[in-house]
Amino acid sequence: MITQSATQAIEVTINGTTYRRVVESRQLLVHFIRDTLGLTGTHIGCDTGSCGACSIIMNGKLVKSCMLLAPQADGAVIETVEGLGNDGELSTLQESFRDHHGLQCGYCTPGMLMAATYLLRNNPSPTEEEIRRGIKGNICRCTGYVNIVRSIKAAADSTQAELGDSVAKEVSK
Amino acid sequence: MLLKSVEYVRPDSVAQAIEILESNEGAALLAGGQSLVNILKHRVASVDVLVDIASLEELRFIETHPDGSIEIGACVTYDELDHSEVVRSNHEMIAWVASHIEDQQIRNRGTIGGNCCLSDPTNNLPPLLVSMDATMNIQSSKGMRQVRAEEFFKGYLMTAVQPGEILKSITVPRVPSDVGIGYVSLSVGEDSKAIVRSSAWVQLNDVIQDARVVLARVAPVPVRYQPMEEALRGSSATPEDIARAASLIGSDFEPVADSHGSSEYRREMAQVVAKRAVLEAVDKVRGEGGSK
Repeated sequence: MITQSATQAIEVTINGTTYRRVVESRQLLVHFIRDTLGLTGTHIGCDTGSCGACSIIMNGKLVKSCMLLAPQADGAVIETVEGLGNDGELSTLQESFRDHHGLQCGYCTPGMLMAATYLLRNNPSPTEEEIRRGIKGNICRCTGYVNIVRSIKAAADSTQAELGDSVAKEVSK
Repeated sequence: MLLKSVEYVRPDSVAQAIEILESNEGAALLAGGQSLVNILKHRVASVDVLVDIASLEELRFIETHPDGSIEIGACVTYDELDHSEVVRSNHEMIAWVASHIEDQQIRNRGTIGGNCCLSDPTNNLPPLLVSMDATMNIQSSKGMRQVRAEEFFKGYLMTAVQPGEILKSITVPRVPSDVGIGYVSLSVGEDSKAIVRSSAWVQLNDVIQDARVVLARVAPVPVRYQPMEEALRGSSATPEDIARAASLIGSDFEPVADSHGSSEYRREMAQVVAKRAVLEAVDKVRGEGGSK
């Protein structure tokens, strides 16, 4: 049992680093990530769970970090946009967003990347409709999202092509 | 800070959660938090202690009973309902409705128990569960008691759950092969808040044997519309029969008006969605609509 208190000592692993902090029980997880830990890649758009700019992956599930309190994340393993790349190398998805100009005003981008990462993990070759459903929680005040959808589709296609290549190599061995 | 200061506790069992509720008048249960956290941000409810039950295994199960009914723990998320083989095999409409709630992030956190216990008239699962004649299993320190879904929703943000009680699970009867369920919403945007909604459970042989037609957002809680059900019983379920039955929906409701629709508009649209829900249910039994 976690004892009843207005402050909580929590332990959260974000992008492979474990953080231990004492937080106010009322602190939103997004404020913990940004203000307490200084990981400002995760954005705050609306504060009401509508825009999805604060989306992160927590224990393997895509969630909006403004809709959780920091103590609810005690013991959790979290991925944020800072964890997508590897040693300065962008992920395939990030590359694809860059290649296809997958941004509009750009504010939603970290949340879009997390939502698309989650989508492709669970559905490696989504249809356009599945992509649009997958980013529904990240629709903000722009319209269209054409290049974002295109970026996600292209990332899926290139990942599939890479997989195809490696299968072909295995077979030819 | 958006929220006023609040204590947080994560009990290890339902029994422990009940003890905490009993000894703290200002305590509230926190499950997925997809509504409650916003309510707390807006400071429209005063909560002293948040009792986080989201990860209690006792509330996170889906099982089949020998009579073909399924029992769903209160903290099963919408996404889990959508992906459950048990739910999909005979209670597919529950999975379908769960998969059309808002967005992926909300479906990953929001729970069936929270969707019911908030008793927000726009919530998706209450009308479906009333139409399927579900039973709500409520636990307290005195033991378990059962309340039919139809009796569970008491008013806007009010349910049969009393102080010191927890909705533990929901039991949904088997769906017989001669039953179809239709669920139709008129909403502001796809998978978004409904302006008006209907869920229809229809048992059909040559004629309609039985029907439960539930309307949502015409009243503070989902309501079965008995005049329409009576008109449907014994009818041969032609589109004309169904339209005639739906046209009975009228002045007995005074839906709340808002920027998305006047009271009058909601009443008219209630006829449309109820008709379409029954048509969908009938099509499913007759094998024209595929899954139920």
